[in-house]
Amino acid sequence: MQMALFAYFGGAVVLSALFVVYFRNPIYSAMSLLAMFMHIAGLYVILEAEFLAGVQLLVYAGAILVLYLFVVMLLNVQSRGRFLQRQTPLVAVIGIFAAVDVIALLLHTRFYPELPAIPHPGVPTLGNSETIGMVLYTQYLFPFEIASLVLLIALVGAIVLAKGKLKYR
Amino acid sequence: MVPLSWYVALSSFLFLIGLVGVLIRRNIVIVLLCIEIMLNAVNINFVAFSKYQHVIDAQIFVFFVITVAAAEVAIGLGIIIAIFRLRETINIDEFNILKL
Amino acid sequence: MFSQSHPEHYVPIFLFLLVAVGFGAVSLTVGKLIRPKNPYKDKNAPYECGVPPINDARERFSVRYYVIAMLFLVFDVEVVFLYPWAVDFDRLGLFGLVEMMIFIFILLVGYVYAWKKEALEWD
Repeated sequence: MQMALFAYFGGAVVLSALFVVYFRNPIYSAMSLLAMFMHIAGLYVILEAEFLAGVQLLVYAGAILVLYLFVVMLLNVQSRGRFLQRQTPLVAVIGIFAAVDVIALLLHTRFYPELPAIPHPGVPTLGNSETIGMVLYTQYLFPFEIASLVLLIALVGAIVLAKGKLKYR
Repeated sequence: MVPLSWYVALSSFLFLIGLVGVLIRRNIVIVLLCIEIMLNAVNINFVAFSKYQHVIDAQIFVFFVITVAAAEVAIGLGIIIAIFRLRETINIDEFNILKL
Repeated sequence: MFSQSHPEHYVPIFLFLLVAVGFGAVSLTVGKLIRPKNPYKDKNAPYECGVPPINDARERFSVRYYVIAMLFLVFDVEVVFLYPWAVDFDRLGLFGLVEMMIFIFILLVGYVYAWKKEALEWD
């Protein structure tokens, strides 16, 4: 059961990622990226990270992709000339080599074929979001506040870049 | 039960696809999309190890990665818009001069 | 926290997906089967309030859409940080309230900046 789910979600993720690179039209690429985000959320569900699956759908599929689509429509230029870089054959050769490498690694290693035992089985457990919240707001307090600074800088920088009167010579 | 090495292999494949996409595509928006693929590959790795090692911290790292990805998208697309106003192109190999 | 999974809890979600996809597929196929088919050039043209279309539909969007979507993205991430805090509010107590107030205050600075820069205005 879990194997079948992993095969479906993993295969769909790899296939849609390939389509992102393959399509000429940026809108099609963004749509296959949407499919990839949704199937990654499915992978998170079978890995028992339900909260992250929800966050993945909310933030990636709901906000980041919308921003990409707006920008693609904003920069609506007909692509002229070739759509690949000049170094494509070299990169393709190296990429195929690396893919064969990964397959060889997969065939030769098989770590954690079984899920290890839960360390403290007797302790009453919290849900996924509750555990994340308890660790995030006590142990990772400082990174959490820094995250808000990162968001603030992104907000200010994006407004300056998009609305500011930059002086071009 | 799915072995952990399969998740690692899936995430390496995904990272490879993103890397190849960054290197071969000319459209700068697609390059940013491929960077998103690479970030998601890392996130799959984090979550898989979080389940197999019984540590929740990896999921919190994924949370921060998603936050940084959001900031990266906002700034990166802002830079693309600013360059597009200046040069009227979105091909990454035509951005060959750093000065305005 | 890492209890045994309950796959049967996902049955409603699966049914929901099935109904959603099935509804779209069934209504499109049934409509395709029973509707009369008589396309001609004027009928296939995009409808533009009865006026003949003047140019291509793929026009450049305004940069204002980008600014609005970017503001939505930043505050969306902020709200996502609020969810685990709300779930754990009783356990964290006053400490959690203070740290979340600091978090929200930092982002409020950005909100005020966007307001003063008229990024929230449409024109």
